[in-house]
Amino acid sequence: MFDKKSYTLYKFHKQLNQAFQNKRELLESALPVLRNLFKLDRIYFFDWQQERAILSLRMMCKKEYCMDKQEDISVIGESNFLRKLLQEGITETEDLSYPAIYVLLKWQRPSMGLKNGEVYNYMQDKVGVLRLERFNKRRGFTSQEKELIKALGQEISHNLRNTEIDQAKNQRLNVSTALNDLSTVFASSLRLEDGLEIILQGVQKYFRFDRVRLYLTDAYARRIKSALCVDISGQVTRQTQEEIGEQEQSLLKEVFDAEATYRSTRSVIYIPLKVQRSKVGFLAFDNVLSRRRIGYLDFISLQQFASQMALSIDNARLFERVQELSNYDELTRLPVRRYFNEKFAEEMYRAKRFNLTLSLLILDIDFFKQINDNYGHQIGDWALQEVSRIIRTSLRQTDVPCRFGGDEMVIMLPSTNSDESKIIAKRLQDRINAITLPTKYTNGEEIHISISQGIASFPTDASSSEDLLEKADKALYVVKKNGRGHFAAYREVVDQTADYKKE
Amino acid sequence: MILWTMPDAGDQTKETYASFLTLFKKENPNIPISVRVFTRNVLWRRMFTIKNPTHEEEIPDLIQIPHYWTALLVREGVAENLSQLDPGLSLSTCLTPLKNHCYKPGTKDIYSYPWWFDISGLHYRVDHLKLVTNNPEKDLSTWEGLLNICAALREQFKDVPGYYPVQNGDWRGSLSIRSALPCVWGRGADLLTQDLKKTSVASQAFKDGLRDYINLALNNFMPILRERGSLGTMVSGKASLMLSRKLGLSTFDARRGTQVHTVPVPSTGDTPTAYMSGMNLFINVHSQHKKEALAFIKFCARPEIQVHYAKLLEVFPAFDEALELFMLSSSRRLHVYGKILTAAQTLPNITIMGTIMEILKRILAVCATQIVEGRFTQASLDRELDLAAKEIEYLLSIYES
Repeated sequence: MFDKKSYTLYKFHKQLNQAFQNKRELLESALPVLRNLFKLDRIYFFDWQQERAILSLRMMCKKEYCMDKQEDISVIGESNFLRKLLQEGITETEDLSYPAIYVLLKWQRPSMGLKNGEVYNYMQDKVGVLRLERFNKRRGFTSQEKELIKALGQEISHNLRNTEIDQAKNQRLNVSTALNDLSTVFASSLRLEDGLEIILQGVQKYFRFDRVRLYLTDAYARRIKSALCVDISGQVTRQTQEEIGEQEQSLLKEVFDAEATYRSTRSVIYIPLKVQRSKVGFLAFDNVLSRRRIGYLDFISLQQFASQMALSIDNARLFERVQELSNYDELTRLPVRRYFNEKFAEEMYRAKRFNLTLSLLILDIDFFKQINDNYGHQIGDWALQEVSRIIRTSLRQTDVPCRFGGDEMVIMLPSTNSDESKIIAKRLQDRINAITLPTKYTNGEEIHISISQGIASFPTDASSSEDLLEKADKALYVVKKNGRGHFAAYREVVDQTADYKKE
Repeated sequence: MILWTMPDAGDQTKETYASFLTLFKKENPNIPISVRVFTRNVLWRRMFTIKNPTHEEEIPDLIQIPHYWTALLVREGVAENLSQLDPGLSLSTCLTPLKNHCYKPGTKDIYSYPWWFDISGLHYRVDHLKLVTNNPEKDLSTWEGLLNICAALREQFKDVPGYYPVQNGDWRGSLSIRSALPCVWGRGADLLTQDLKKTSVASQAFKDGLRDYINLALNNFMPILRERGSLGTMVSGKASLMLSRKLGLSTFDARRGTQVHTVPVPSTGDTPTAYMSGMNLFINVHSQHKKEALAFIKFCARPEIQVHYAKLLEVFPAFDEALELFMLSSSRRLHVYGKILTAAQTLPNITIMGTIMEILKRILAVCATQIVEGRFTQASLDRELDLAAKEIEYLLSIYES
């Protein structure tokens, strides 16, 4: 029914008719079959390196095994060899002292004749080249064998192409799934910083980059505000605006001027992050340490991902801004009472649970009503802003201040006893006393601002948050009663609080 | 257990391993071991992917690496801390130049263990050289002398088709940075400054050193990018000299009675040097067979096994006692390599060392193509090296600051 050639081809086709994960797996399956079929001593597979006109050896098969090998052969000076290989698809080597043939593996055979200077164009379709060797000088390759080898070579090319396409598709699918998963994680994390860290680590892991960096712009998109970097060990480092050098700052303009472009020789890509026209930041992926090229498919996937990421970052920033607005008093930029109460309850719980101290400091601006009445509300607001600024800059990271209402402010001081609180109160008093109202509103008169402060501490003065607040207020009442401009701790003035009435 | 290794024995690598592993299996019948052979290029790329393998990728347990990759693998977090795995593991008998390449930089924690090393030398066919010089050792002591000998040999064998004075010792048949290093060092140049903070690849001495080596190909004394096994081989009589890090003596002696002598790589300047390239083994941090892998490492470090393997591969043992045994077993080896070993240099163990070698390898690959196509110029090489210097400085600023 079949002639010998067709039958061999059919058998070969059947042997290769399976899903291969990659090119290596396919070659490891195909080369031994050819070796046995033609009783070869060795068979080699070369890649075409089009840009260098080089045949680059990838794999050798001898006996029953295949092995990676490396050898480069330039074909640019071998015009006869090249012409024959490209036109006929097969050629014998003249250099070796034993029979050896080269077989071209390609998608489509060129239909027209080879002209000068067209070598590179022809190479574009090339998949690779096989070299078949027999060490016995008398065992040359017959014309029937050559025909069959060419036909089997076509079969290998076809399979190689399909494997490569499948591999690319699978890779794309895996990447899309991974990026989709990461996007979901990112979208569900309300804190921008947490989400970004997870996502950058994920991208580095899936794409196996040496480094992934994210640069975010400031509110005006003029400078880089912060940078997040995942290095080769997977470790995350953050940089603030001050830590980012001018060279890196200049990248912002370069990236947005150049847009994202792909160059096959590159082991670095920058992708701008933008929403409509606003610059959110940019992503930098690099393999500068390993010097591996970043594939085009990866580039495309990352570009798509970057646009989603830009949108998510923009949304997250908006969310943070809204949160900030709802938690902070617009005039003084101090937390509002609701936010303070939440934090106060948390800290009281912690203090009770771990036997820690906690103090509360209540203050108001002395004669604030007169300032408003005499110089206007604008100056009153100015005074409030200045006092708040001093408070914000004089406290520790763990302290929580709050505008309680009008000119009254409360400061929670975790892990602080009464004596330590007095040091803070003294610092505030000194710094605020140094503020003078702008003289252009006071007819040249130098008017200083002063504050009165009351302090109560847990557990010495009170055991609940309500009680602590009341005790601090009582201490403030005594200070005000005694002439203002000072501070007092509750336990020092407890006997003077008899006529205190909660307002 | 899976061992990833390089084709150190060329086409015979699989057979060499099969024979070597028989010894290990005899002592450790319960430790199955399979070997995968990858070229250095493939292995280099895989060093960056084994950390996060995909589900279809194989996870190796033990991997052979060049000595100067250790710092990188520690930095990446893929190499197991061997000192932690076996606190008794010691490097006390390891050759001094190879020791530092096993530690995490700045510590005494062992992350890779020495296996063997090779060292560059110049082999020559005694019968061929006799035709052009009365005193080959003297004439081959300088680079200029080597080029003169090459010219004389070229003339002597002008009628032999496919003859080249120098056989290309590089596996790829191209220009090799590892072969070029002694020329660079000979000129007093180096890859990095002594404090390892800056690169010197853009210095004139470095450029001159590289050019010395490239001259072999430029003058058509050494074939590049040609089919191997056909042109310029010493065994077939189509070459007379070879720069190689392999011992080579036994191979040549065994074939056709060809007498081959070895001398140090000719000095290009005032400092004669040889490139000593150590091969180490490290255990993958993700390995499920760390104890078995450690057993193999310890097996390979035993003196008698070291000597056995060195003979199989035509390389040198990495430990004092084994090296002594190996050297003393051949008076010729002792005579030739005793001298070469005193001038041996290794590469520093820093994170970016492998990358620097990759950068220079690419530059030499471009040079090789340009030479073959007849468009090589010194200016283009200088420009490439200037650019490489900037790239290396950038890498130093990221990874070594």
